Amino acid sequence: MNTAPAIEQTVGAGDARKVSVAQVLIYELRVRDAMSTPPITAGPDDTLRTIQLVMKAHRFSGVPITKDEALVGIVTIEDIINALDKDHISDPAERWMRRNVVTLRDHFSLVRAVAEFERHGFGRFPVLDTSGRLVGIITRSDVTSCLMRELERRADEALAREAELVAAQATGGRSDRVVVLRTQVKTGDYDGAGKVSQRLRQILRIRGIDPDTRRRAAIVTYEAETNIIIHSIGGEITVKILPEKVEIDAVDGGPGIDNIEQAMQEGWSTAGRLPQELGFGAGMGLPNIKRCSDKLEIASDAGRGTRLHSEILIKKAGTTP
Amino acid sequence: MRTHVLKLEELLTLIKADLLTESIQTEISGCYISDLLSDVLAHAQPAVLWVTVQTHHNVISVAATKDLAAVLFTCDRTPEPSIVVEAEEQGIALLRTSLTTFEAAGKLWEAGLR
Repeated sequence: MNTAPAIEQTVGAGDARKVSVAQVLIYELRVRDAMSTPPITAGPDDTLRTIQLVMKAHRFSGVPITKDEALVGIVTIEDIINALDKDHISDPAERWMRRNVVTLRDHFSLVRAVAEFERHGFGRFPVLDTSGRLVGIITRSDVTSCLMRELERRADEALAREAELVAAQATGGRSDRVVVLRTQVKTGDYDGAGKVSQRLRQILRIRGIDPDTRRRAAIVTYEAETNIIIHSIGGEITVKILPEKVEIDAVDGGPGIDNIEQAMQEGWSTAGRLPQELGFGAGMGLPNIKRCSDKLEIASDAGRGTRLHSEILIKKAGTTP
Repeated sequence: MRTHVLKLEELLTLIKADLLTESIQTEISGCYISDLLSDVLAHAQPAVLWVTVQTHHNVISVAATKDLAAVLFTCDRTPEPSIVVEAEEQGIALLRTSLTTFEAAGKLWEAGLR
């Protein structure tokens, strides 16, 4: 979906064909994830000598100058070299600092930060929050180490998942452990849809459950999740995986269904324009849920919330293909 | 009834499509066309090609839920890079053509997909 700011689209639009994980990460990660904080600053009255010592102590190549928490300038290592050369190292920062400081906002994506580094050739940017307060400093190496950290975290996650899979296969793919997946579902969060059903399918696959049961359980979960996203003020999905069945409970905070019988008819929908443009609101959500469930209960009070309980039976082991 | 299976490479030339995902070896055993997600959840068969103009994240969720083989975006609709990565993780091939859905459907039918 096109929710990213314009600059991010132009950067990424060139080649949508091959995208590495790192490339995706620089879209997802924000400047605030990578920046160093709190920023070490100096005042306009501090001498360049004082600032040189700060740089030496912290191995910085630039120090932002602030006055009453507002960014007023920056002194870089070049300014210090000039000051030593021209013999004004004892002057206050105010006299020699650069005043037109290019800054980044903390909510910018890293892809934008990388583009700004390329464009200006600077080694660092002061970072401001939305209210214009200086909250951190970001360097090129901050971006690199942030990417490395995130890649490492994802690799660890992938290894853990693999270990889980291997362990499950070692026990013949069968497990009697009851797994409960519980997720808050936010209204209008179309991009977040499908996470619970994806996890559910993964677990059922590991357990060697047959594809038809897997698909039915995933469809009920997905439709229930999107129902909450499209129609309610928000709610919760709980999926309980038992040895003999999958139980799916979807509870939302309202506004409730006026006429359940009508809602169960194929083609009936009250979805608004945005969800319809995205291909939701076909009026088949509840009918799909009904068709896929072995047991279904829906309770709804107009003005209150809706509670949906669905069960999908798991065929006995040995009958699986 | 004669059932025809198409390889992904054959499909690419047939409908003048680009492959957006890394080359995923797959065979297409049929086709379903719809822009309504629940409709696909209700009626698409596993391992088929889904033709649609929708390009957002939920398309991948639905395709994965139904174990579809590939998704073809018509009218040159292009998904965001993150969607392509998601599809690769799920083992679903993504294709893009400048043909309209109707034109693509005609060519697929002529090639023997039923």
